[in-house]
Amino acid sequence: MPRPVTILIGALGGDGGGVLCDWIVAAAHSQGLAVQATQIPGVAQRTGATTYYLEVMPASGPAPAVLALNPALGEVDVALATELLEAGRMIFNGFVTPDRTTLIASTHRVLAISERAAMGDGSFDVGRLLRAVKERSKTQILFDMDQAAEESGGVLNAVLLGALAGSGRLPIPEQAFEAAIREGGKAVDANLAGFAFGRGHARGELAQVVRDHHKRQAMARGIEDLTERARRTYPAAALDVVEEGIRRLTAYQDRRYATLYLDRLDAIDALGSAELLRETARHLAVRMSFEDVIRVAQAKTAPERMARVRAEVRAKANEPITLTEHFKPGIEEICAILPPTLARRILAWAERTGRLGRVYFSMHVRTATVWGFARLRFLASLRWWRPRTFRYVEEQAEVERWLATIRAAAPLGIDLAREIVELARLIKGYGDTFKRGLGNYRRIASEIVEPALAGRLAPKAAADAVANARVAALADPEGESLSRTLASIAASAAMLRRAAE
Amino acid sequence: MLDQPPVAQRTNPERSFREEVRALRLGNGEIFRGEGILAVTKAILQSGVSYVGGYQGAPVSHLVDVLVESQDLLDELGVHLETCTNESSAAALLGASINYPMRGCVTWKSIVGTNVAADALSNLASPGVIGGALIVVGEDYGEGASVIQERSHAYALKCSVWLMDPRPSLPTIVRCTEKAFELSEASNTPVMMELRIRACHVTGEFVAKDNKPPAISRNHRLADPAPHNYDRISHPPSTYAQEKLKVDVRLPAAQRFIVEQGLNELFPGERSDLGIIVQGGITNVLMRGLDRLEVEGKVPTLVLNVTHPLVPDQITDFCKGKRAVLIVEEGGPDYIEQAVNALLRKRDIDTRVHGKDVLPMAGEYTAEIVTEGLLKFFTQSANDIDLSGPRERFEAARAGRAEAQRLLGGPLPLRPPGFCVGCPERPVFSAIKLLEREVGKVHISSDIGCHSFATLAPFNLGNSILGFGMSLAAAGAVAPVMQKRTISVMGDGGFWHNGLLSGVASAMFNRGDRVLVIMQNGYTSATGAQFIPNTAGNRRDGETTSDIAATLKAMGVKWLRTIRTYNVGTMLTTLREAMSTDHSGLKVIVADGECQLARQRRIRPQIAAQLKRGERVVRTRFGVDDEVCTGDHSCIRLSGCPSLVVKPSPDPLRSDPVAHVNNGCVGCGLCGEVADAAVLCPSFYKAEIVQNATWWDRLVWRLRSAVIGALAGA
Repeated sequence: MPRPVTILIGALGGDGGGVLCDWIVAAAHSQGLAVQATQIPGVAQRTGATTYYLEVMPASGPAPAVLALNPALGEVDVALATELLEAGRMIFNGFVTPDRTTLIASTHRVLAISERAAMGDGSFDVGRLLRAVKERSKTQILFDMDQAAEESGGVLNAVLLGALAGSGRLPIPEQAFEAAIREGGKAVDANLAGFAFGRGHARGELAQVVRDHHKRQAMARGIEDLTERARRTYPAAALDVVEEGIRRLTAYQDRRYATLYLDRLDAIDALGSAELLRETARHLAVRMSFEDVIRVAQAKTAPERMARVRAEVRAKANEPITLTEHFKPGIEEICAILPPTLARRILAWAERTGRLGRVYFSMHVRTATVWGFARLRFLASLRWWRPRTFRYVEEQAEVERWLATIRAAAPLGIDLAREIVELARLIKGYGDTFKRGLGNYRRIASEIVEPALAGRLAPKAAADAVANARVAALADPEGESLSRTLASIAASAAMLRRAAE
Repeated sequence: MLDQPPVAQRTNPERSFREEVRALRLGNGEIFRGEGILAVTKAILQSGVSYVGGYQGAPVSHLVDVLVESQDLLDELGVHLETCTNESSAAALLGASINYPMRGCVTWKSIVGTNVAADALSNLASPGVIGGALIVVGEDYGEGASVIQERSHAYALKCSVWLMDPRPSLPTIVRCTEKAFELSEASNTPVMMELRIRACHVTGEFVAKDNKPPAISRNHRLADPAPHNYDRISHPPSTYAQEKLKVDVRLPAAQRFIVEQGLNELFPGERSDLGIIVQGGITNVLMRGLDRLEVEGKVPTLVLNVTHPLVPDQITDFCKGKRAVLIVEEGGPDYIEQAVNALLRKRDIDTRVHGKDVLPMAGEYTAEIVTEGLLKFFTQSANDIDLSGPRERFEAARAGRAEAQRLLGGPLPLRPPGFCVGCPERPVFSAIKLLEREVGKVHISSDIGCHSFATLAPFNLGNSILGFGMSLAAAGAVAPVMQKRTISVMGDGGFWHNGLLSGVASAMFNRGDRVLVIMQNGYTSATGAQFIPNTAGNRRDGETTSDIAATLKAMGVKWLRTIRTYNVGTMLTTLREAMSTDHSGLKVIVADGECQLARQRRIRPQIAAQLKRGERVVRTRFGVDDEVCTGDHSCIRLSGCPSLVVKPSPDPLRSDPVAHVNNGCVGCGLCGEVADAAVLCPSFYKAEIVQNATWWDRLVWRLRSAVIGALAGA
């Protein structure tokens, strides 16, 4: 008895794995081939992983007594995945093997909830996935089927079916698959277009234009002399970052502010490490362009924003669109743009009366209306006032302290200085997020950085400790990981000291 | 934010089983093609059932769902369909076959459904039936299961109902279904037939027969009830006689029928010294395993399509003269293995019995597990068979997997099920998270239903699940020892299934000082949007049956609020009030929001039609300004919406990815609400896109754009 061709499909709920399965079954039937499919469909909801398993006999004839319902280790001929991590999962489970399996998978990622919810970048290493894909399967058909589906106007499962047809791994002619799509009767033209793309790609007849992810440079004019100054002074390896920093800060504030940026960097450049300079330049530019309401208003009223939003929400050229922004400033956000003395007085009063962190002003601003836009535009125009604000003064002091620790740490060890620079990553966001990040940053600074600068902690150990603490601070918003990590660092430092004594 | 009609005006979702309904009408000689569970549905119509009932649950929901849409066919045949409100009521439905020679079939998900049905099941089994009674249970075991892992087998043993476990091939499943009714009638005993997840969904074909109109039915009603017969009542002293009947009469009758009809299958093999006894449902995994070891067709195999009762003579005849027999029986306890051991011991047959010594007691019998068990069995019992080739391949495959796992470097992120885009239940948990920021952690008693996904990331809310509709009862002894009030979450499905009596009535009766949140989305959504008593409309007459708030008032609930779920701020305020009010009795919040899957199914065709007619339609969706977002993802942790994703930051100086709303957004507005209620950040915007804009829309838009453009340039 000839062996069946075995097919395993990994999909996400809502990807149309069931329909894909139906198409394959119908196409096999039309050729008189015995076929059996089954599935673990998950629940009615749309986010879980679902799997489908099929066996198709290679030639027509009586069906064998038993076809299997479960995939087996090393016995899968064709593995289909609607997403890259799901391809990885089939590999992880041992179903995809280099001696046998043709892996047909979309290379796009749909991040799992744990990857999305991370406080920084929590996504699984795509390099590892791709390496496993290449090394652990016999042949691969890989491309971004999500993009292909979008471009062909079809659905991903039709592209995947096309790729399967194009792979030639099943004894089923492509017309039979097309007939199955037609019989299915839903979105036939779009699905046929998706199918054609998948088939063409699998056969190498057409290539996909890979979508580049573009970083957007800040725009600023009249800064040639500043750029020139940077080029004269700094190593080439740091220049792209420094130049972006100049553009960014000029757009954010003015030329003077960008000059201050360069003055601050000069002191770091003097420490002699191009890498330290580059990373400091990156974080310093971000820290100096802190997020106050003026910056938010600048971003929301930027001339190119409307076009970007229209593209993102897929508004057609003749479709009017209205936008509503959600703002909810509290006392702190308002104080941020007041003069320091007044702001401090209000904050003290708010703290005393229990209003701090409790009183907020909920505002829904309609930026596509003249009045709404004008209000934000007015806020954005307060840029000239910014250097006189409470937040500005506070931020400059905090930045100066940070730069001072970097300068103090560098002679002890560049690694430690680098880690202190990187610590700035913790400070971001608005409201509670900002406060939490700043709090974590200060905790690490006082519990590790200060002891290290005072010579109570070896620089090498301190560098590791800062890195560990930074990762821990981004592990959970409650700060439990950070507390545990700081406690264990303190304990091991105490032990080392005792051992040394 | 989403506009939605009040509960009473929500129309029913239109799921279509047109193809399936057509398959149920196939006649003699025509080829049926489809899934296992649909084949069972067709087989019960071919068997002349008078009534069908059930309670939804994967993987058997389809049976009743398809019949609901086949009302015309059922009317023609005269078959009564009862969509029961729980499994207990479904089991009780079979009571019709105690007194009347009518065939009936009910279905539910097991083990949980069988647990709920247990009382009625015992009371059905004791008097026995004169009309064939079949219970189709979805054995929710192994990969993809959503319930506790236990075997339905125990119920068959203790109630003396027969258990079929057909080999998962459509002709066998269909034959077993038809024979189940005959077996039931031949032995006056209800028959349970278990189908695992993969068997319910397995595709295949069989030759159909005509559907059979039942002799007694809605179309052929009885003039008189059955004469009074106390023997048929499960009350003493009848119960003593019934217990004896089970053993003395019904069991032997069943065993005779099983042998006469050849319900179990014997696959022959040349090795007369060896044998394998396997549950029908596991046959395919076993056969492929033997194939893998290149011993296919060599070992005689007894396939038990009926796993209870066993037929002693059949078992001993099979085992006699064999050195060793392997029993392939999934899950624990090992009822079949124990029974076979006892039987052989009593009859002094010294065949060695292997089973759970080479196969695991717990867990699904996958290809890998069974292969490993077979290798051990053959090594111990037949070392003359050379398995070195297959063993090497098997070990190589495992080594390959280890290598793959090393390459991938650790476990992959899991993909647990979660709330759909725009789910009305998500905002409630966002509000509970925000409440916990204020008052600290709260004991949360969770329940069965979509809302149980809140126990997973990113919400991680919930301390226990005690069964369907049990969340309020499960807080009964926690609440009195807690300084803070407990919150029980229950769906409207759970409320009608069990929560109303086990939870609300009991809490009222005991003056429980607890908070109950009832998710009123209008359907049992997790099982595929089946109707429940508060669903707007009823499949029979379009009238809504029962209103939850009215029911609670009638029960005497004094503190009762009905809140639209999407309004996170209001939900938070209400929760805060419920947690702190002086009212000491039960506090109920009805969290109202239509199931988004149902809603989308309802409105998509409407909107498409409106657009086609050229009518003005405003499409709402949300977005994130990627320049304003700093990549902390608090918004994701407080929502977990599948359309709220991350993308690389467009900022050349930042590396953390930023939040992004993808095109799956249905514009429910939760992300904006959460950003507002939690004071997150100003990144979110709401966009309203006017499709088929009027001339006025366009004029206003042009004027605004012109002024704004001038302002922006200024």
